[in-house]
Amino acid sequence: MHVWKKSNRDSYKGEWTMETKKRGDLIINGLGSSNGGQFNEVTLNGKGTVNSDVECTNFDCNGLGTVNGNLAATTANISGNGKINGSIEGQSLSIDGTAKVKNNVIVKNLEVSGKTSVGGKIKSEDIKIKGRITVGEDCEAETFKAESHFTIGGLLNADLIDITIFSDCKAKEIGGQTILIKQKATLFGLFLPFIQTQLETELIEGDRIEIENTKADIVRGNNVTIGPNCTIGIVEYSGELSLDEKAVVKEIRKV
Amino acid sequence: MNEELISKKELLDLAGISYGQLYRWKRKDLIPEDWFIRKSTFTGQETFFPKQKMLERIDKIQTMKENLSLDELADMFSPHLSDLQLKGEELVRRNIVSKSVLDFYLENEKGSLDFNLSRILEVFVLEKLLQSGAINLDEGKMLLMVMIENKDQIKQKSADLVITRKLGVSNCLLLINTEGYHFDSGTKLVTEISLNACMEEIKSRFV
Repeated sequence: MHVWKKSNRDSYKGEWTMETKKRGDLIINGLGSSNGGQFNEVTLNGKGTVNSDVECTNFDCNGLGTVNGNLAATTANISGNGKINGSIEGQSLSIDGTAKVKNNVIVKNLEVSGKTSVGGKIKSEDIKIKGRITVGEDCEAETFKAESHFTIGGLLNADLIDITIFSDCKAKEIGGQTILIKQKATLFGLFLPFIQTQLETELIEGDRIEIENTKADIVRGNNVTIGPNCTIGIVEYSGELSLDEKAVVKEIRKV
Repeated sequence: MNEELISKKELLDLAGISYGQLYRWKRKDLIPEDWFIRKSTFTGQETFFPKQKMLERIDKIQTMKENLSLDELADMFSPHLSDLQLKGEELVRRNIVSKSVLDFYLENEKGSLDFNLSRILEVFVLEKLLQSGAINLDEGKMLLMVMIENKDQIKQKSADLVITRKLGVSNCLLLINTEGYHFDSGTKLVTEISLNACMEEIKSRFV
């Protein structure tokens, strides 16, 4: 019997210790399915289906993998097409292909280079996204770096938010300490994109805000820099404000 | 709710904190989610907080954060269950146990009215099984004895309780770290309940 001890709050912050006794591996090559359980390594190559909760040290999905339950893995790697009909918890999760998670993702490090959709919330410390991500609820991290196309249904909350817009982005609200939003640099600065891509949100709140190509109802902050192609309803600032001449701001309030 | 509310902007001003700090504390669960009250105002949606509670909380965070990390602080604000002590009437008020089951428990256990976590678990399991009608009072007594005698085992390991009947005689089993079990065909499984799941359920009531 193996007992995983997790800390009571966020599992990724707790030490993952295992009571010693050797665990087996679960490897599916080709077409196969298995029940879940506790393993050392879980590798799905080909079309593999796991039909209940899985706990493992390494999770690797290289083909079309499905887990019909929750996945708890110290490190998880989805390079093919992975579908988790539950939540993912663990230390690090990297997604290079397509991943679909029905509920929450709670991991220390999250790296996405493909396409990911998460039905619930994301709670992490370090999020790096190059690709496309859809989150149903809130997205929380210490640092959030994205060069991507994303949709966040709830609040994007991080100490450092660094976004390079590649295509239309949406978040209900954005809050944090430093918020940087910039447009992807065009080739040699010569070819301006024909269609302007924008980040759309209701509210941005932070201490230091520098934004470009953003459409927001309200922006509140200390030091605010509004760059080109912004459409803002109300800007409230307490420190300094700099406005680009190509930005549209309806109302400015100094608090 | 008749509490006085304060808008986010006023709060930051009054407490002298920044947006960054507020969002960081929210992320670390230092401020409960349901204190964020959304209301529409003439400027669009704004977030409000219960003023008194929020100012007290911020004060606490600010005085303690010099000595403790934010994670340690978060553990502090989430009710510390191992040191939990509750009065019997508090349990009734929180819907963990009904008055009649509580009386039955005290009558048999003859303990004080102050409940620690393992006693809360005992009374909670009893409540669950008695109220669902799965067991009768005598079986309840038996179950209680098993749980009290094996308190220490229950605390540390994954435990399940199983109650069976055969030819009208009931048995209560406490299974520790079991993968599975089987009976002969004449035995009827009355109920099985995972104590860990119960523990989780109790914890969730306090959050």
